[in-house]
Amino acid sequence: MLDDTLVATLTAQFFNGLTIGGIYALIALGYTMVYGIIELINFAHGELFMVGAFVSFSVLTGFGFAGPITDPVTLTWVLAVAFVLTMLLLGVLGISIERFAYRPLRNAPRLAPLITAIGVSFILQNLISAIYGGSSKPTPQVFPFAWRFEILGATIPWITVFIFVVTVILTVSLSQFIARSRMGRAMRSTAQDREAAQLMGVNINVTIALTFFIGSALAGAAGIVYGLNYGTINFTMGFSAGLIAFTAAVLGGIGNITGAVLGGFIIGFIQVIAAQLGYSRWTDAVVFSVLIIVLVFRPSGLLGQQVGERA
Amino acid sequence: MSSPALYRVQEEVPEGVAYRGHRFDNPSSCFSWMVATVHGCQCGPHVAIGRTRNIRRKEELMKLRNLGVLGAAGMLAITAAVPAFAQSPASMGTLKIGIELPLSGASVANGEPTKNGILLAIKQANEAGGVGGYTLVDNTQDDAKDGVPNPEQGAANMATLVADEAVVGVVGPFNSGVARFEIPVSNAAGLAQCSPANTGVDLTKEGSEAYRPEKPDQRNYFRVATPDDIQGPAAAALAYNDAGARNIFVVDDTTAFGVGVGDSFSAAFIELGGTIAGRQGNDYAENQDFNPMLTALGGNFDSVFFAGTQTLGGGQIRKQMGQQDILDKPLIGPDGIADLQAGGNEGAFITLAGVENSGNVWGTTAGINEIPDPEAFKVAYSAEFGQDPGAYSALAYACAQILIQSIDAAVAAGATDMAGIREGVRANVFSGAEFTTVLGPLSIDANGDSSQKFISFWKTDPTLNEGKGGWVFVRQQDFGGAAPAASTAP
Amino acid sequence: MTARAALPSSPGLRQRLDALGTRHRSLTIILGMALVTALLPLIATLPPFSGFNKQIVWIDNFASAGVFILLALGLNVVVGMAGLLDLGYAAFFAIGAYAYAYGSSTFTDLSVPFWIMLPIGAVVAAIFGILLGAPTLRLRGDYLAIVTLGFGEIVPVVFRNASQWTNGTQGIAGIRRPAIPGVDCGSGGPLCFGAGSPLPYYIVMAILITTVLIVLYRLQDSRLGRSWQAIREDELAAASNGINTVTTKLLAFALGASVAGFAGVFSASKFINVTPEQFGFNVSFTVLAMVVLGGIGNMWGVAIGAFIIYMINSVLLKQLNAFFDTFRVPILSDIDFVQYQYLLYGLLLVAMMLTRPEGLFPNRRRAAELHVTDEPPGADVEGPDPSGPLGRGGT
Repeated sequence: MLDDTLVATLTAQFFNGLTIGGIYALIALGYTMVYGIIELINFAHGELFMVGAFVSFSVLTGFGFAGPITDPVTLTWVLAVAFVLTMLLLGVLGISIERFAYRPLRNAPRLAPLITAIGVSFILQNLISAIYGGSSKPTPQVFPFAWRFEILGATIPWITVFIFVVTVILTVSLSQFIARSRMGRAMRSTAQDREAAQLMGVNINVTIALTFFIGSALAGAAGIVYGLNYGTINFTMGFSAGLIAFTAAVLGGIGNITGAVLGGFIIGFIQVIAAQLGYSRWTDAVVFSVLIIVLVFRPSGLLGQQVGERA
Repeated sequence: MSSPALYRVQEEVPEGVAYRGHRFDNPSSCFSWMVATVHGCQCGPHVAIGRTRNIRRKEELMKLRNLGVLGAAGMLAITAAVPAFAQSPASMGTLKIGIELPLSGASVANGEPTKNGILLAIKQANEAGGVGGYTLVDNTQDDAKDGVPNPEQGAANMATLVADEAVVGVVGPFNSGVARFEIPVSNAAGLAQCSPANTGVDLTKEGSEAYRPEKPDQRNYFRVATPDDIQGPAAAALAYNDAGARNIFVVDDTTAFGVGVGDSFSAAFIELGGTIAGRQGNDYAENQDFNPMLTALGGNFDSVFFAGTQTLGGGQIRKQMGQQDILDKPLIGPDGIADLQAGGNEGAFITLAGVENSGNVWGTTAGINEIPDPEAFKVAYSAEFGQDPGAYSALAYACAQILIQSIDAAVAAGATDMAGIREGVRANVFSGAEFTTVLGPLSIDANGDSSQKFISFWKTDPTLNEGKGGWVFVRQQDFGGAAPAASTAP
Repeated sequence: MTARAALPSSPGLRQRLDALGTRHRSLTIILGMALVTALLPLIATLPPFSGFNKQIVWIDNFASAGVFILLALGLNVVVGMAGLLDLGYAAFFAIGAYAYAYGSSTFTDLSVPFWIMLPIGAVVAAIFGILLGAPTLRLRGDYLAIVTLGFGEIVPVVFRNASQWTNGTQGIAGIRRPAIPGVDCGSGGPLCFGAGSPLPYYIVMAILITTVLIVLYRLQDSRLGRSWQAIREDELAAASNGINTVTTKLLAFALGASVAGFAGVFSASKFINVTPEQFGFNVSFTVLAMVVLGGIGNMWGVAIGAFIIYMINSVLLKQLNAFFDTFRVPILSDIDFVQYQYLLYGLLLVAMMLTRPEGLFPNRRRAAELHVTDEPPGADVEGPDPSGPLGRGGT
């Protein structure tokens, strides 16, 4: 029964999944990096995504853009500036949060920074709603939706591919950075054993700060991409997205970069499949059920290492 | 750093001098903030005294932080001292109207304009010389907790309002779910309660005795909003007859309102002869992407009914229909969509959907259109609060009008003490008396529903308001009585 | 080894009271709770509080706060005693509430008395505690947290969408109030439970809290309690010492859930309604914050912490506007606090964690663990000259 309409529909859904999954993947990357290095579930991370969306909104409207930009050269420049500015600002915000809210609690039991993280989450939400107002805001969708291409009978807007490409570039850059560079090695060693790394001369504070910088910058990138694709932002959009992204990170094996991306795409596709079958109402329950089933059989996530209990 | 001339936002409250001000460097950011946060206020010049704003802010925050840390028990005692000063023992000259709405967090966009409608009515009543010799004051309670309307908080607020003898009527709540927890409390106390927005059918009709265990035969809860069992058929008539829909895709926002109106719409639409192409629910807080469900139908639908509000996805779904290039398919929605606000207003449907996507959108509102002076309310509201009324401001204003007219009647009938006035108000509301309201003349039936069963149909027009978009009136239809037949469009 | 470890010279009054309390613990709890229960409504009639609200509204608030106190006590068992991070505790609260709704409402036309539904609700919740705890047994730390979070999301979603059985978003209404057998409530009366008469609810809640406290203190001192402590400190070592981690963990979940079941049944009977929106992640998180801020592991600390946080959330933050209006504080009067409730709450949480991460009334040992740069606990005891070589040592 594979007629043309069904093929077209499924193709379109595939690209929908890529979009949703890409955004979750970008947020999940930040979660997984922070967790990998200081074992903190940073519940404020979703709010960083939200702040990123608002910051990019301000950047784009500040430069006077309100609608699609049809000239590819201008568009590239505008996007480049938006990405760089937003990611920088978010990185700085992430470092500040770490410095003031998490660093003093580095030796505290796990629950204290968890509560602090949610406190920070409340603070960020309220600040944004105080500055920008409580209603949803339409954002400038500078990447034109009119640019489309046809594949297997479906018409797909190019922005979907753009989002996927951004995700891939950022993920690959990140993993290369961690694998090859000196700071990356410092991050890996801090994640493995903080005291030993310190003994080896790694500056823990700088390393952790850098981790937060990168994680927050990635959340910021997710925020920009969200604003470009959906065109509406709201100060409440962060918490839920953060939770689902965290689920994605855990699904893939927390601490594992590839796992986070994999988890993000899996959840994106679960949402799309649920919608295709008519069960959008149940998406949340399905996502968490999948997670629980996976964890029952692979307690460290899909790609997580089976780490034995440490003494 | 010198102290720049700053602009301050201020509002007056009936007791006198209190103002809540924010300070800005220039009038336009003052105005933007005001519009964004829907404050009833004006911007005026203000000269900063003392240190710069930043340090003051930090000190405020530090002060607050220390206060919080230094023992909530102590703060509780201090807080408790409040009305020892503020509340004079049942003074002869003041009556209160309780306001019970979600006023913080995500609900502020809906709650604030609704509250303002009531405050406007109170202000106008006082300016006209009070009500029955009494001055009116509000007793405002916020039922949002963690940013979301909380039924238990609503019940606690209702208990507080009930215990305040000067409160002779309450306007609220906003959400049907909260109302279910509040009605038992207000019913036990015989306090008149008017909701501007609840649509749950079980609140007044079949099943409502579950909410009145203490005084099953005494009604105190009423509403001016159209219940789901009228909104659904009304929207179905609009969709079938005016928008020409035949095979409609129904999406609800998984709230009690959305599911209820979605169900009643679907039933009515099928009765008219249409088919339901599909039915999905979407929790907007969790997921803002309607593409997958729009794609899932493979194009096998000719219209969409969004059972929900514009803030919980109504605007977004239209925007994404635009992205998918299916704007020729009309979008129909209930009260929640047709906020009748011009494009460009904060949180308005046309703003959220984007004016280029907002053509071919249809919605319903409660109330007739041919009221004596339709613009008067809008003008008065804008003058007082500096912006257009919200979707529920007029309904809340109508609730307040009914309560105020009932207070008049109760005092005229000879009630002299607070308890007597409270009972008199309740009895008057349910006496079948006719009230003059901004929704037109109406009375409250034995169940607590409005006799006003006219629904107005509206359609968007992107060319209005200098291209920003607005709504035009299509027609109105009376839904009192039997379910509407498939009438021919005018 | 220092000679600093001198014994206290003779037991002071405080130590003697402590020892007495420990020996006759249940009696102490009953007396203490009776005192508190009697005093609170009286305090509510005193000048500062009486101007705020009538006594009857205070009692109503106390009864509602009691629900959260119970929840905090139950979560303390899972998180504080057994060390299992549970982020979805509200699910058990929901199960208890819906259990009562099924047992005694116009929805199912059943009329099981409240007093019988209390233990039934607790048992049902305990069963779900075991069911939902079972998948987490192999998981460590934060994986466990995310799974419990998952369940905490799944349960309300199921209640919301399975309209056939749960009446969906509308929730279940017409739940019957408790009734004392033999008392006729046709025309009201002091022993009748009603919207306008919260005193019976208050008393029942006080009794519930007392019972739960007694049972939990016994458990804490029992073998099971020590097993919980062992797996909290070091699960591997505990397992090597012969503790059956599976049953210990499941029992922690079950007992914690059963307390939530009590809270749910009570809550449903007080509000005579249940809706899925009552049981979101914000409830789970609030209860967790209450446990952490009260002092994890310390039962009465957790109870007081819960009470304080409930009062802050439901009363204080909402009345700040009126407060500052009345006192005309120059800058603070200008700010609309209702809008900034969550900013203040967030700041409070962060500030509390930064200054006192062990909570308001912590276990002494935990406090010592967290303030490693401060003086060790025995330092103020008379000992050898602190400036000498054996004085002030250690970090």
